[in-house]
Amino acid sequence: MSAVIDEKSKLVINETSKRYSNTKSQIIIYGIVCALIFIVPSFMDNAYLLNKFSTYLIMGMLAMALSLSWGYGGILNLGQAVSFGLGSYCMAMALKLRTVPIHTGAEGLPDFMVWNNVETLPLIWQPFHSLTLAVFLGIAVPVVFAMLVGWFMFKGRITGVYVAIITLAILVVVNLLIIDQQRITGGFNGITDLAQLEVFGFEFDAYSSSAYYLIAIFLTLSLFLALAITKSKTGKILQAVRDHEDRVRYFGYDVSHFQIFVFAVSAGISGLAGMLYTIVMEFASPTFLGVHLSLSIVIWCAVGGRQSLIGAMLGAIFVVGIQGSLSESETFLETWTLVMGFIFVMVVLFLPKGIAGAFESLAARIRQKN
Amino acid sequence: MNTEQLVLKNVTVNFNGFHALDGLDFSVDKGELRCLIGPNGAGKTTALDIICGKTKVTSGEVDFESKSITSLQEHQIARIGIGRKFQIPSVFQDLTVRENLQVAYSENTSVLSNLFKFGLSKDEEGLNELAEMVNLQEHLDVLAGHLSHGQTQWLEIALLVAQNPKLILMDEPTAGMTRQETHKTAELFLQLKSKHTLVVVEHDMGFVKEIGDVISVMHQGKILAEGTAQEIEQNAAVRDAYLGSGGITNA
Ligand SMILES: Nc1ncnc2c1ncn2[C@@H]1O[C@H](COP(=O)(O)OP(=O)(O)OP(=O)(O)O)[C@@H](O)[C@H]1O
Ligand SMILES: [Mg+2]
Repeated sequence: MSAVIDEKSKLVINETSKRYSNTKSQIIIYGIVCALIFIVPSFMDNAYLLNKFSTYLIMGMLAMALSLSWGYGGILNLGQAVSFGLGSYCMAMALKLRTVPIHTGAEGLPDFMVWNNVETLPLIWQPFHSLTLAVFLGIAVPVVFAMLVGWFMFKGRITGVYVAIITLAILVVVNLLIIDQQRITGGFNGITDLAQLEVFGFEFDAYSSSAYYLIAIFLTLSLFLALAITKSKTGKILQAVRDHEDRVRYFGYDVSHFQIFVFAVSAGISGLAGMLYTIVMEFASPTFLGVHLSLSIVIWCAVGGRQSLIGAMLGAIFVVGIQGSLSESETFLETWTLVMGFIFVMVVLFLPKGIAGAFESLAARIRQKN
Repeated sequence: MNTEQLVLKNVTVNFNGFHALDGLDFSVDKGELRCLIGPNGAGKTTALDIICGKTKVTSGEVDFESKSITSLQEHQIARIGIGRKFQIPSVFQDLTVRENLQVAYSENTSVLSNLFKFGLSKDEEGLNELAEMVNLQEHLDVLAGHLSHGQTQWLEIALLVAQNPKLILMDEPTAGMTRQETHKTAELFLQLKSKHTLVVVEHDMGFVKEIGDVISVMHQGKILAEGTAQEIEQNAAVRDAYLGSGGITNA
């Protein structure tokens, strides 16, 4: 046996075989990107554009959250929009109750309930009188839901494509439930005509820099939280799980705990993103839990680079940004869908680690030359 | 006085009617270095799979330090002190050598306590020394997927040393190694022997003679013979079992 010379032993190890996890330079790059995001309002005084840009940032947050669970934990969650939608509805319920009864009058009930002959505010709506509680629930509900789903999937050792199928199925079911429970959720129309978010007397106008900054702050916080997780030993163990799930068990780690953890953190960030989205869109709708959005997140993440938090985030911001600037013209938008599909296929075929991965190997080549 | 650390009692494993293990009785003392040999398909790998929880017994009993581990899960078995090296070297290909070793330092297995560990923590202090021991100190930043076969074998052996289990199960650790590398591995194992119990599955008789005290020979899912290298080579039943596979030394 010892005479067998392995093919691989002829491989030469050089700079391109290496990866330096230079945390310091990473923090600097992440910091610069976040700083750039913060200075956008100082040279963009168009309220409409600023509002649009806020939504791009939120999509960036979603892609970053998926990068955490997919790129680092190996969990391809096609139902990321569930957490996003749950968060957005929590915020919408709180903001809706703040319009009652001033705008719609009718005995302290949201308008759509009156139209649906609901007589008393459903129990599930009661906690949302308190904004603090609503914000808490906007994160806690997706987190607990993800933990439950994660518990069933990962204790049962479901992996790979089956995780993708199950999460997608859950998305469809939750979406249908929300549309179906019209008396509580507003059905197809969602929850509209919301009050503006007001905290300590300070208003976050959706078309102002205040809302933009609010989003930029939470994007930065969650980005650095995710970075810290990936840099911790738990993050390394997660990547080991992604690489070779079974092998990790023989070191004594309960793999399911790590999977449930990252799945839940990712859901929490998405829930937060959902709340922010409601603030800038001024409504919540079943499309926020749509299959279209959920699959788009996967594409942004793959194009930007799923194994790079910032790559996934920038991937989403650029793709949605380009799409947004083209969307003025119908024909362009259709072409764009085609272009997007083409880019996605190209990336999957030739850049499995996305654009961020391409940058990394370029850097390694440059190191090699020097 | 009973010093037996690991005991397999009448273990049977049935794969769709085929008995990969067929009433296997096998025991190893604490601190021993036991070699396990046998022709292809004898059930050596399956025996290790049973011990580390990868495969469940159809019938029979596995005890470790006088406690039954028969129905424990893989991570529970690992936590009580059993480590495993696989026949197909299994390391984390997309992680660097350093990260592989960090993951292997697994004294603390909870999600939350590992969440607050950044960089090299206290229990990972021996990492550089360990890398040196297996000649990978120059390659700490190399992705494990880029290592040669022999280096991968050594990395996995190092992972086990980092894990620091009481009992180490090695499945063909020198496969694909050059003579020199094999010799170095033998030295390493003799060094490990004082601190750990080792069960080593190996085909290379030269290697087995270099390290083994007692050799167990498996055939058709059970133990055929047990003894020193000399006793084994003279055993008629063992010779018969190896007939057709070119004799025991070339197995
Ligand atoms: N999962 C499985 N399903 C069905 N049969 C299996 C399975 N695993 C192993 N076997 C069979 O069980 C027998 C014992 O296999 P095992 O891998 O334990 O042998 P081994 O002694 O390790 O052989 P080798 O020296 O080739 O590694 C073989 O005949 C093999 O084909
Ligand atoms: Mg084998």
